[in-house]
Amino acid sequence: MRARYVAGLDLDTLLDPDGGHWSKARSERLSLVGTPIDLQPTASVRVAWLGKKFGAIDRVSVAAVHNGSALAFRLEWKDASENRTLDDITAFQDAAAVLLPSVPGAPVITMGMPGMEVNAWYWSADEDDAGRHVVAEGLGSTRPVGERLVRGRGLWKGGHWRVVISRALQVQTSEPVAQLKPGDTTQFAVAVWEGGHGERAGIKAYSAEWRELQLEAA
Amino acid sequence: MAEVKRQLAMVLDLNKCIGCQTCTIACKRLWTRDEGMDYMWWNSVNTKPGRGTPRDYEKMGGGFRGGVAVPGKLPTRRDLGDAWKFNHEEVFYGGKADRVHLKIVGEEPDWGPNWDEDQGAGEYPNAYYFYLPRICNHCTNPACVESCPRKAIVKREEDGIVLIDEDRCRGYRFCMEACPYKKIYFNHARKVAQKCIFCFPRIEQGVSPACARMCPGRLRFVGYRDDPEGPIAKLVDKWKVGLPLHPDFGTEPNVFYVPPLAPPRFDENGDIDESKPRIPNEYLVSLFGPRVIEVLEILKTEMAKARAGQKSELMDLLIVYRWKEMFGGFDRDPATIEWTTA
Repeated sequence: MRARYVAGLDLDTLLDPDGGHWSKARSERLSLVGTPIDLQPTASVRVAWLGKKFGAIDRVSVAAVHNGSALAFRLEWKDASENRTLDDITAFQDAAAVLLPSVPGAPVITMGMPGMEVNAWYWSADEDDAGRHVVAEGLGSTRPVGERLVRGRGLWKGGHWRVVISRALQVQTSEPVAQLKPGDTTQFAVAVWEGGHGERAGIKAYSAEWRELQLEAA
Repeated sequence: MAEVKRQLAMVLDLNKCIGCQTCTIACKRLWTRDEGMDYMWWNSVNTKPGRGTPRDYEKMGGGFRGGVAVPGKLPTRRDLGDAWKFNHEEVFYGGKADRVHLKIVGEEPDWGPNWDEDQGAGEYPNAYYFYLPRICNHCTNPACVESCPRKAIVKREEDGIVLIDEDRCRGYRFCMEACPYKKIYFNHARKVAQKCIFCFPRIEQGVSPACARMCPGRLRFVGYRDDPEGPIAKLVDKWKVGLPLHPDFGTEPNVFYVPPLAPPRFDENGDIDESKPRIPNEYLVSLFGPRVIEVLEILKTEMAKARAGQKSELMDLLIVYRWKEMFGGFDRDPATIEWTTA
């Protein structure tokens, strides 16, 4: 997939899921699957979900745009319910994330491994604009890196989510995160959580393999 | 599971609990007054037989059976009794104190954290009930610790207190499904799980948990499991009268109960009927396991000894002549400590 370079876009415009710049980016459809039950890190999660279908969102359209300093992904998927608020203990939010390798060859399926980190840009419907920027080196190991580095914006309308997740190409940190520049080729994977189905943590739909991402030269 | 060097524990003598909720309020005022905690009762006292808090929690699963994790359900806020909203503004500040009275605002609740108080079971004149105070059991085999994919819950090596690390917690609530006692709450403001902390900041200063120290009934014993001079080892190991609630849940609680005796039954002529107990044995067995029958016999035997003027160490212990001896050394007066709020 190509991340289209659009010169002169300010961040606010870049984050707009309905912005005109998305019409210039070619979106790709990705099939998602539920994460393997055997890889859930605890017995109690495994018994709770054994035999239940999860990974309710099985298809997502992804497009990418950058403006020379920030990269944004737009994810679109069908979801009959908008789950934004945690108004009861049984309520979970819709969420999505883009995963990039911090280290070439880091595995998607286990979200990295010790010494081979991955970098996730996470958006959730209940926190919308304030995304999370995390590093992981294995399931259950995510740790936040920096404050407000990831920005997101989600619109739910007529049974569809359109969500933009964005981060600066380069960030100031000594942590192993994806550092990008125009013209680079990297990889990405995505995950979507259907809050209405109780999905959270490792209980999610994901694209099980890396996809190539080429950032157009600025 | 992490090995602990020592284990703090509590023994609650149910024969002394009067259901006054002083423990509940002591805990509430100390720990759960912040935003997002309004509906939390880390300490609760319910009438048994009764549905408990959250409503019917004993049927919600979780814990372990034969060492295998049992799937559990999440309670709803309504199951937990929620936090009712009142017209405080109107009554206290609205200038209408002569016309309005305190009442619930919004939907009329159909449940509360102590909704079925004193209902119990049985028919007059043989009705029965008792109070069951509950906190987090700080289990030896904690289902919450096992369940968390982020390892955000730890059992402290030095004293076995089970704590949630709110910096690691992401509010997934697997722990709330896994805890068979349903003693973990979700903070909607901070989006983290929270629960009884066995008043560890007090413990670290030699002060017993607030629920225990504030108890007017002197029924909560505190101390290390392995302290032979302390009350826990004496009650649980020496006299063997402390039983965990629902040993069938497989988590090995470190909160123990001295089971409740009850007055004798009356027969149809109004005469005392000693042929069967007022509280059915099978009910007590369902709560405290099969050993409860034996424990009740020990209590009866020792009570008879005391009545006959003989010495009973067990009765002396349970009566608690010297208040401070209940606390296994955690008897420092909190007023002597300079607490900081930072």
